[in-house]
Amino acid sequence: MNRSVTGRLAIRLLLLLIMTLPLSSWAHKASDSFIYLESAQSELRIDLALRDLALVLPLDTNGDGQLTGAELRSNRAGITRFVDQGVAIASASGRCDLEGQQWGLSSHSDGPYAAARYRIVCADNEPPATLEYNLLFEQDALHRGLVSVNNGDTERLAVLGPDNRVLTLDPLSGAGARVLDLFGTFLVEGVIHLLIGLDHILFLLVLMLPATLPRKGRRASDHNRPEHSLRARLLELVGIVTAFTVAHSMTLALAALDIVTLPIAWVETVIALSIALAALNVFWPVLGRKTWKLAFGFGLIHGFGFASVLGDLTSGVSQIVVALAGFNLGVELGQLGLLLVLFPVLHACGRFPLYQRAAVPLMLLTVGALSLYWVAERATAI
Amino acid sequence: MIRTTNKPSTTCFRSCGLRRQPNSDPGLTALHPALTRRAFSIATLITVLTMETALAAPAAIETEFADNAVLITLPATAASPADRPDAQEPARDAEAAANQLQTYLTLSRTAGDPRYLGYAQALVDQWPKAQMTDRLLILHATLNQSLHRFEAARLQLRQVISRSADPASIIQARVTLANLELVQGHYAAAGDQCDQLAKTFPGLIADSCQALVQARTGHPRAAYDDLLTRTQRSPASSTSSLAWAEGTLADLAAQLGKPAAGEHWRRTLVLSPDDLYTRIQLADWLLAQGDNEAVMEVTEGFAQTDALMILRAIAMKQLGHPGTDQLTEHLKERFREAQWRGNLLHQRDFARFALDVEGDAETALTHAQSNWQQQREPLDTRLLLRAARAANATSIADDVKAWLARHNQTDARYPEDPS
Repeated sequence: MNRSVTGRLAIRLLLLLIMTLPLSSWAHKASDSFIYLESAQSELRIDLALRDLALVLPLDTNGDGQLTGAELRSNRAGITRFVDQGVAIASASGRCDLEGQQWGLSSHSDGPYAAARYRIVCADNEPPATLEYNLLFEQDALHRGLVSVNNGDTERLAVLGPDNRVLTLDPLSGAGARVLDLFGTFLVEGVIHLLIGLDHILFLLVLMLPATLPRKGRRASDHNRPEHSLRARLLELVGIVTAFTVAHSMTLALAALDIVTLPIAWVETVIALSIALAALNVFWPVLGRKTWKLAFGFGLIHGFGFASVLGDLTSGVSQIVVALAGFNLGVELGQLGLLLVLFPVLHACGRFPLYQRAAVPLMLLTVGALSLYWVAERATAI
Repeated sequence: MIRTTNKPSTTCFRSCGLRRQPNSDPGLTALHPALTRRAFSIATLITVLTMETALAAPAAIETEFADNAVLITLPATAASPADRPDAQEPARDAEAAANQLQTYLTLSRTAGDPRYLGYAQALVDQWPKAQMTDRLLILHATLNQSLHRFEAARLQLRQVISRSADPASIIQARVTLANLELVQGHYAAAGDQCDQLAKTFPGLIADSCQALVQARTGHPRAAYDDLLTRTQRSPASSTSSLAWAEGTLADLAAQLGKPAAGEHWRRTLVLSPDDLYTRIQLADWLLAQGDNEAVMEVTEGFAQTDALMILRAIAMKQLGHPGTDQLTEHLKERFREAQWRGNLLHQRDFARFALDVEGDAETALTHAQSNWQQQREPLDTRLLLRAARAANATSIADDVKAWLARHNQTDARYPEDPS
């Protein structure tokens, strides 16, 4: 190869070589703007990186390469105009007005941003239907507008880019539909979790067992009208189980909303103890015969059982309320379903002496022993 | 007695790995399975449903800031309106456009800043397709490679190699293509380009190219010794050729587990002090040697370069440095934003962070695997092997090992099999 050609190549390569090693072996934040549609789409907040704004506006007035607070303030009008010509919110009746509410500095992981909050005012009070974003794409093809749409308590994230500049906003009824979805999901969860929860089922069994036994003193009338008796007892049990659910919903909500929190180890010990006590109470009514009051009291304790785990989940409060309502209703439905299937069977067994004298005591003993074992485990753990 | 352990949810939603699932002490809950499972599951569900709120919550708007406060120091290219990309006349001739493009690409590499890639992309988008010169095509291919559009880059480089009348362009395209094939683990294709390069542009660059292919396909020792001899015999080479050879020697030494690797990396850094790739490799090597103090030194002042900050965070964690939590939080915010954005999330960095800082093997494995589909440099392969081991994903590790065996590739940086 001719020397001068090689020499020319070397010079050219010198310039390019540095780029030939594996590139982008590091992550680093690209240019993003942050756009928040808040308060059921009535407010807009836009955060633009100062670094990006400096590309399109002469922010550095004195040209010293540094941007000061004063320079930013003096450019406020320019920044507002820039946002105004590049960001548009429109409703069915046309473009909406953006009324400035707050203006200042904010920060994201790559440094300072100019931030502004606007109230969205659309003609005829129509809800906003579209958000269009056109800033900075001409300067930086990798620039993106990161959008968060907050419809009350549900939130949707989106990304706007040069090929996708318009975001269609959900009508607000969409938010209602999502709440319904959330409720449905947790309703199913409630049913499932009742069915796989051993402690819960055991407690239900203990509440149920006394009612499956013929009652002393009323035996004659029962024998005459067994159907009526089954129905009456079922209704009574439904009341008891519901009392349990109501109580357990109350404490679960209290703790999930961070109003009351108890240490989980203690709560679990008391729950296990309560099951053992309930089993004991069938033979020796140390806690009395008012079963629904018992169930309510125990329900209060059991609610804290899940709640202590939920205690630190405090974001999106009304979402949690919807979720809890669905969940508790699901638990109640599961309990009632279980009752309807299990109780008639046990009630039918109630006529056999072997059931009364052996099966029931054995079941209660097992439940009691298991619960006491849990208590012991908890107590040693504390 | 029913005993179940609390298996953490393996369903990965948007912020998998970014927010730990709430869980109670397993010692307290393991024996109360029903209760715990139920509570755990509802907690998980609520977490998932409220996660986006946590993701997007912005910092408050600060209205009181001092007039004399310096908010930001602007990079030179953006400081003066005259240098603004939009203020520039659309480049009149291809050579001017190529110069501008090359400036952006160089800045993106030395500053580690993808904003310059965005400016480069805007320039390419505005340039008429019919007027692409060889040089513009090569630069566009380099941009595509930086943005992980490997196939587009490969096609453009092949086009230059097959059609160009300019030997310099062909050589540059070959160097770039050989490198791309090496990064992706296509050693035969890389070897072809290196051999062609050795014929048309003999020297340390072609030697380095061939040495890398040789080392990755079963002969690292011979490749190292040979390249070392050649480098010592060509003292008059240009700085960039020397930097290239030193960097290759460092990589080969690291592959062989030779302590000389550190010295080679340092010499490469002296020759090209702005090169972040070399700095990351050096920091990684020092970290592997357990020299956490040296990692702190090498990564000092590179707060914007995530790969270096992750290595710094690992070193800080091992040193018990008081600043560990602050840096970890900063990196978490960075990754949250990158995930919201969706693209440009650097999977290797994210996986490394998940594995070594967060201790989240599942997330690390997912991203290490997806990274390995695109890039198979030793550090990519090592990360996947380590993540697979931490997550007990034997079959994934076996697939990687089968690929390594097929290329006869051994590397002292890879985790050893427990025997």
